[in-house]
Amino acid sequence: MSTIAIALREWRSLFRLPVGWIVIALFLLLTGIVFAYETLSPGAPASLRNFFSLSGFMLMVVAPAISMRLLSEEYRMGTWEVLSTLPVRESSIVVGKYAGACLFLVSMFLPTLAYVAVLYRFADPAPDPGPILAGYLALALLGLFYLSIGLCCSAITSNQTLAFLATLMTIFAIHMASARLPALLPEPFASIVRELGFAPRAADFARGIVDLAHVAYFLAGSAWFVLAAYIAVLARRWR
Amino acid sequence: MIQVRDIRKSYGRLRAVRGISFDLPQGQVAGLLGPNGAGKSTTIRMITGALSPDSGSISIDGFSTTRQGPRARSRIGYLPESAPLYPEMTPRSYLQFRARLCGLSRSDGRRAVDRVLERCWLRDVARRRIGHLSKGYRQRVGLAGAMLADPPVLILDEPGNGLDPTQIRETRELIRELGRERTMLISSHILAEIELIADRVLVIASGTLRADAPPAELVAQASSISSPHVRPRYVIELRVPSDDRAALVDATAWLARVPGVERVDLAASPRDGWARVTALPDAAHAHEDLREAIAGDATSRGVMLRELSRELPSLEQAFLALIESAQDDASAERAA
Repeated sequence: MSTIAIALREWRSLFRLPVGWIVIALFLLLTGIVFAYETLSPGAPASLRNFFSLSGFMLMVVAPAISMRLLSEEYRMGTWEVLSTLPVRESSIVVGKYAGACLFLVSMFLPTLAYVAVLYRFADPAPDPGPILAGYLALALLGLFYLSIGLCCSAITSNQTLAFLATLMTIFAIHMASARLPALLPEPFASIVRELGFAPRAADFARGIVDLAHVAYFLAGSAWFVLAAYIAVLARRWR
Repeated sequence: MIQVRDIRKSYGRLRAVRGISFDLPQGQVAGLLGPNGAGKSTTIRMITGALSPDSGSISIDGFSTTRQGPRARSRIGYLPESAPLYPEMTPRSYLQFRARLCGLSRSDGRRAVDRVLERCWLRDVARRRIGHLSKGYRQRVGLAGAMLADPPVLILDEPGNGLDPTQIRETRELIRELGRERTMLISSHILAEIELIADRVLVIASGTLRADAPPAELVAQASSISSPHVRPRYVIELRVPSDDRAALVDATAWLARVPGVERVDLAASPRDGWARVTALPDAAHAHEDLREAIAGDATSRGVMLRELSRELPSLEQAFLALIESAQDDASAERAA
C-alpha cells in the first residue's frame, strides 16, 4: 500500500510541476515533427522505425531529467527526514519512487499511440504490427533501464544537476565501453564487455526481433541498479 | 516509553554524541535544550530512526529503532525543524499521503485528516498549495502530520519556529493538551516555552547529557555551579539625595560593603529621588538570604528603602551556567 501511495504521489507531483509538462511537450513536439515529415511523406515505408530510433535517443536525456529529482529532491528539501521516520520500509520508498517515474514515462508514450492510429488509417498496405509492438517493448525496456540508473544516481546525491549528469555519463559510459573496449581487450573479456552493451540489443528490437535474452538483460540490469539505489538509501541511516 | 542507552555518533573525526542515556516514561513531556552544535538534532534524529547510532541502543515502546525500525517508527509522530513539506501538494493531499504511509485505511485516513486539520486550525487553507502558505501555516501542517496517526510518542524539533506570538500561544496550548495523554520530547531555543510545558528538562552540551531534572530542580542543581548566572539577585530601590549619577555612587557605596555582597549594579536611572539597583552575592553567600543584613545596614545608616527582594535564577540562567561549565570542561579536555 505504501509503495503504491509513493508511486502515485511521485507520478502526480511530476504533473504538478513544470518539469513534467515541459518534458512531455518537447518529446511530443520532436517525435511529432519526425513522424509528420519522415513517416507521413508519400512513398515512405509504413513503419514507425524513425519514431522509435529518435525516441530511444531522446530517452537518454529525458529519463535522467525525470529521475534526477526522485530522491535528490527529498534530501535537498529535508522531506527525506519525514519519509525516513515514517513506518515505511526503504524498499517501499525506492520501489515506489521508481514505479512513479516509470508511470510518468508510460504517460509520456501514451499520446504517441496516435501515430500508430494515423499510420493504420492512411497506410496502404497496413503496417506490420510486429515491429511496432517490438519497438514499444524496446522503448519500455530502455526506459526502465535508464530510469533505474537515474534512481541510483539520485539516491547518492542531494544535488539534482549532479544526479542528472551522473546518469547521463553512466549511460554513455556503458554505451561507449561496450562499443569501443572489446577491440582493445583479449578474449574472453572482449565478448563479456560486448555483451554488457545495450545498443545492439535495442537495434534488434527496432528490426522487430524480440529476443528473450535481450528482455532478460534489460530487466536484470534495471533490477541491479534499483538494488544499488536501495543500498544507497539504507546507508543514509548509517552516515 | 522511550529508552535511550549510551548512544554515540561520530561524523568523521567529530564526535557529535558521546554517550547519552535517559528514560522517558509514558505521559511525560521532556524539553531538550542545548546550544547549536551540541548534538541535540543528532540525538533527535537517532531517536526518530532517521540515523542509526554508532553504538548504544534506543527503544520506543519496547521496539528497537535499529532492529525493528518500522514498528518503532510507527509509535512516533515527528516534526523536524523547519517542517519540511512538498510545496506542490495541498495540506489535505499531503496529510492523506502521510496517512497512507502510516498504514491507515482510506476511510480511517480521511477521518484522521479531518481531525488534525481541525485541531491545527488548518481548515481554511486545506486546499491551498503548501508552497503558497506562510511559515506559520506550514509549521502547523507539519505538526498535523506528526499527530495524524495518533502516535503515543511525539517528537517536536523547534515547534515554535516561525510562528507569531498568538500562534506560539495557541501551539503551546495544543502541545500541553497533547502532552496530557502522550510522551513528548520537544527541543526548543525558547527556554520560557520549555519551562511552561515540560515536566522535565534534558540539557545537552558538547555531545553529553549535562542535566536531567524538572525545570525547578534544574535551577537548584545549576546553582551549585560557581557561575554568576545562577546566583540569586537582590533588587533594592532606595532613596538618593539627587538624581545625579555621581551622588548615586556615594549613596550605594555602603551596599557593596554589606558582608556577602560582591557587586552592585544600577538597574534603572534614578528618578524623583529613588534609585533601583541590583546586588549580586559572592559564591560563598549564594545560598544565604542577605535581605536582613541589607535591611539592617540600611536602617542603621538611615537609608530609606521602598523595595528589597530576592530573585531566584530562571531556567534560562541555569541553562547558561550549565552550558558555560560544559564549555569549560570541553576546553579543559582539549588542553589535556
